[in-house]
Amino acid sequence: MLETRGLRVVGDRVLVDGVDLTVAAGETVGLVGESGSGKSLTARALVGLLPRGLRAEGSVEVGGAQLVGASERLLRGVRGRRISLLMQDPFAMLNPLRTACAHIAETLRGRTSRQEIARRLAEVGIDDPAVAGRYPFQLSGGMRQRVALAAALAGDPELLVADEPTTALDATTQHEILALLRRVQEARGMGVLLITHDLRVAFAVCDRVAVMYAGRVVEQGPGPELAAAPAHPYTSGLLGALPSAELTLERLVGIPGAVPRADAVAGVCAFATRCDRVADACTAARPPLRPIGRDRLTACVHDTAGAARPPLREAALPAVPAGGEPLLHVEGLRKRYGAHTALGGVSLHVNPGETVGLVGESGSGKTTLARSVLGLLTPDGGRIRLAGLDVTDRAALDPRERARVHRLVQCVFQDPSTSLNPAMTVGATLAEAIARAAPADRIGVGELLELVGLPAAYAARRPKALSGGERQRVAVARALAVRPALLICDEPVASLDVSVQAHVLELLRGIGRELGTGMLFITHDLAVVRQVAARTVVLLKGVVVEEGTTSAVLDAPAHDYTRRLVAAVP
Amino acid sequence: MSVVPGTVRLGGRARRLRRTGPGPLTLLSGGILALMAAAALFGTWIAPYDPAAQDLALGATMPGWAHWAGTDELGRDVLSRCLAGARSALLWPVVVALGTCAMSTSLGLLAGYRRGWIDAVMMRVVDLLIAMPGLLMLIVLVGVLGGGIGWAVLAMAVLFTPGDIRVVRSLTMAQRELAYAEAARTLGLSRTRIMFRHLLPNIAPTVVAGALLSFVAALVALSGLSFLGIGLPAGTPDWGLMIEENRGLLDLNPWAAVVPAALVTVAATAATLLGDQLFERLSDA
Amino acid sequence: MAFVARRLAAALLLLGVLSVLTYALLALAPGDPEQVLLGPRPSTAESRAAVRAQYHLDDPLPVRYATWLGDAVRGDFGASLYSREPVAGVIADRLPVTAGLAAYAIVLTLAVGLPAGLAAAMRRGGPLDRGITLSALVGLAIPPFAMSILLLYGFAVTLGWFPVFGAGETFAERVAHLTLPAIALATGQAAVVIRQMRAAALDLAGQDYMTFARARGVGRARYWIGYALRNTALPVLTVGGLLLAANLTGALFVERAFGLHGVGELLVSAVGQKDLPVVQALVLMGGAVVVAVNLLIDLAYLAVDPRVRHGAVAA
Repeated sequence: MLETRGLRVVGDRVLVDGVDLTVAAGETVGLVGESGSGKSLTARALVGLLPRGLRAEGSVEVGGAQLVGASERLLRGVRGRRISLLMQDPFAMLNPLRTACAHIAETLRGRTSRQEIARRLAEVGIDDPAVAGRYPFQLSGGMRQRVALAAALAGDPELLVADEPTTALDATTQHEILALLRRVQEARGMGVLLITHDLRVAFAVCDRVAVMYAGRVVEQGPGPELAAAPAHPYTSGLLGALPSAELTLERLVGIPGAVPRADAVAGVCAFATRCDRVADACTAARPPLRPIGRDRLTACVHDTAGAARPPLREAALPAVPAGGEPLLHVEGLRKRYGAHTALGGVSLHVNPGETVGLVGESGSGKTTLARSVLGLLTPDGGRIRLAGLDVTDRAALDPRERARVHRLVQCVFQDPSTSLNPAMTVGATLAEAIARAAPADRIGVGELLELVGLPAAYAARRPKALSGGERQRVAVARALAVRPALLICDEPVASLDVSVQAHVLELLRGIGRELGTGMLFITHDLAVVRQVAARTVVLLKGVVVEEGTTSAVLDAPAHDYTRRLVAAVP
Repeated sequence: MSVVPGTVRLGGRARRLRRTGPGPLTLLSGGILALMAAAALFGTWIAPYDPAAQDLALGATMPGWAHWAGTDELGRDVLSRCLAGARSALLWPVVVALGTCAMSTSLGLLAGYRRGWIDAVMMRVVDLLIAMPGLLMLIVLVGVLGGGIGWAVLAMAVLFTPGDIRVVRSLTMAQRELAYAEAARTLGLSRTRIMFRHLLPNIAPTVVAGALLSFVAALVALSGLSFLGIGLPAGTPDWGLMIEENRGLLDLNPWAAVVPAALVTVAATAATLLGDQLFERLSDA
Repeated sequence: MAFVARRLAAALLLLGVLSVLTYALLALAPGDPEQVLLGPRPSTAESRAAVRAQYHLDDPLPVRYATWLGDAVRGDFGASLYSREPVAGVIADRLPVTAGLAAYAIVLTLAVGLPAGLAAAMRRGGPLDRGITLSALVGLAIPPFAMSILLLYGFAVTLGWFPVFGAGETFAERVAHLTLPAIALATGQAAVVIRQMRAAALDLAGQDYMTFARARGVGRARYWIGYALRNTALPVLTVGGLLLAANLTGALFVERAFGLHGVGELLVSAVGQKDLPVVQALVLMGGAVVVAVNLLIDLAYLAVDPRVRHGAVAA
């Protein structure tokens, strides 16, 4: 139904370079890639809606109609009817000035009736007819994504291109939406091209998976086969970097280096510079996507078909002796924002040198808790003790105590794009932090950079010249500059690609092990918490619903919510 | 995660602009302003005639070899008066721009960073001042109460500050929520250090562009006041006043009004262009 | 509704402050109030006593202010110190010229500003966009009085296409006489509209919901009217108040430059003659118009944006 041949997206330079894909009716195909792989541009190219200044080349055929170079008139007839696009951000995808009903009605064309709208909403699991009259800002993220799906399907397309449709959603909602997508696809016998950065999602939902790298497809095949025996070193690299929710891996291996630009590797294997098996053939010409068995294709010159992945090696996280005074002791912490309760009496503790995972979805209060401990906000009630010092209200501390608290606890924040001051060099940022350390603990900027695995020369760089992973390393270095006893990690890897995430997780694990720094590791990702935390606390709507060793919580969840979280892991 | 199309779209021309040096428009605007600044500083020395010297017998004449821009009704040399007028035309707006910039930056940073009651009180006052028909009040106040250019400059700074405070405040509020600012607070850095060393450099492009815009607004408003005969005593060599005094001479010597009008226009345009270019350049860097 | 009530309260508060400031002009003006209010009349014991009685100068200040405000609300601002005619009548005589000028300028502003801004956005980065953006920047910078002089010189004196001074008698004459002043007044405003429209259209083009609408085949009419027009209306609406204020103050300069006997010219000469009753009436009226238009804009927000209607965000 959908067939692309040599699809290229070209602007000032080549951004997507040769994507061959087919999607048949009733089939779900996954297109997986990290940021910069060109997967979203591919999605846009399929519906003929590339951003200004970019154009598609090659061939895109939908139901026999050639879309590359087609007139806007033809495209308008095809869009919505034969091919439709579902986008990532449910908060941006719906027109804020139009109701849910209007969004669906405008694509229905002619047969708008109240019953029809209700039927369409029921198809995406919305049974409350009142939703039709609501505006997007009155709906939750999951609801918006359902309404958007109903709108995308209102013209009864034969093919749905879903571009990261669940990335902006919470784990449990993501699970529901993916299940819904699958259900609708089966009921309609529709083709779906699911674009995602998440290998686990792709394997869980798709019949076939194509892996994209630097603007091209490097491997293609049925999900389970790909997972068990990747035929391209990039795919096996990704799989090796993937944390597992089931067991704690001995080592998470990231992929060294960074993704090259598509135009820089036009004539060679795109992965050659990062591959440990690189041979002359890899850089002599561009390896074509070749078949290596039933339904399987690879762009690797080596004969890697069927080479099963080595079994995962499990490791135990060092147990921390209980007893003695906890490093961080939070008791009955409460915080309200107007009518919304962010924290409704949360108690937890972190022992010296221990890593505790704090798991929760958006709105669980996990970030409010972190900010309270960091002194960035003052809680309404409850107590926070840090190494014996009551730090609930920072303003009440005397200057000496305050200086001490700043050396006791530090934080690594989520967003690598804002974690460093863009106006300061890495060296200046670190030097400023080092100056806050106790005189005996002060080390050089170079040493600090080495500690987080960066060359000392990075001190002269500005954040702009660093990749996301490198920035997060610098942020870790800044936090470690004062030798804190407690490091709060607030979703430090949530915005990073899998291959980079592995590096940073491994770094943080090493710090816990070697420096004996206690950590409160906040995350929504159970696989991540399994890798780093010996103990886990589950937070729901400002209340701790479950607490215990990580293996106990994840393997035998006691609370209903935890069970749902575990079940939602793709 | 995924490639947001916006990041791709940024590419192209924007990036090409960044690599090249200052564009021809920037150079031109900068050059014009530099020339005018030179006239403001040395104008009275290079002027061919005494700007106040009258020649009633001569009266208004068209431009000629003796008087390149002609003379006005009182036989005064228009070119000399224009050169001399550059001083008041540019000096006071610079004072207004610097004053506005200093006040709005410090108050905006304070309100945006501290929040709480300081912010609440300041914003009430700012909202009120912004809603006032400002220039109208200025004309009436200075016109009725008198008090000359000093009061006009002060009133103008008070009028222009609220808008800039609002801008600086909202930028500060956005910056203080970013991870780098939170990290600075977590490290226990002092408020002043965070405000001026961390936040200020990141909002500097807007502050600089805002100062240039204040300069333009003050230039236009002050020459406008003179045009209405308010602020400066009659007879002072000033562009606005010259337009007012000579606009009846459009048939005898139009240049007596057109040249100062063109000068105000060119100065304001050059500063606006420079501010625009500077803003784009600084926010790209 | 809370939103309307809040806006209304703010508008009233603003008018109150403005009236206090306006009344304070009398107290702050150089010379004692009697002298100011006597104006050019001879200062005798009787005339002074008459002024004291007429303006209730012997009452305490708050009472005087209340009396004045009470009269002002009923449209009675007293008599001009010069012409001795009631202020309301003086203003009413001048209003048609200014109203005609303002309306003409607004028509020009919208007729040029909206399409030019949209065209610039649609041809983003191209020569047309650069031309329009640059022109708007220049238009923004040119002061209205300088523009007036340059237009007068260029089109009236040199080319002789338009009359130089005055407002004309017949409708056609009026239009001819008001064309150059309206252009001078509209230049800056059109520049504001162009920039705002361009920014709004560009911002809109980058929105996911625009792409999503096209991706599911929303019809062309629905796309342009239901999406593009409606969603750009809001940001463009926000500069409405700004435009009006520019219109009011710009009229002062333009009327003076073109020798039009409008309200703006009245204010300038009243300020020059220290004719306080006229000044007070005009400032209060100007303030009231600005406040009223801002209130209307807020109400328009209410009509267009459901988020404001449901109290989810402030306008």
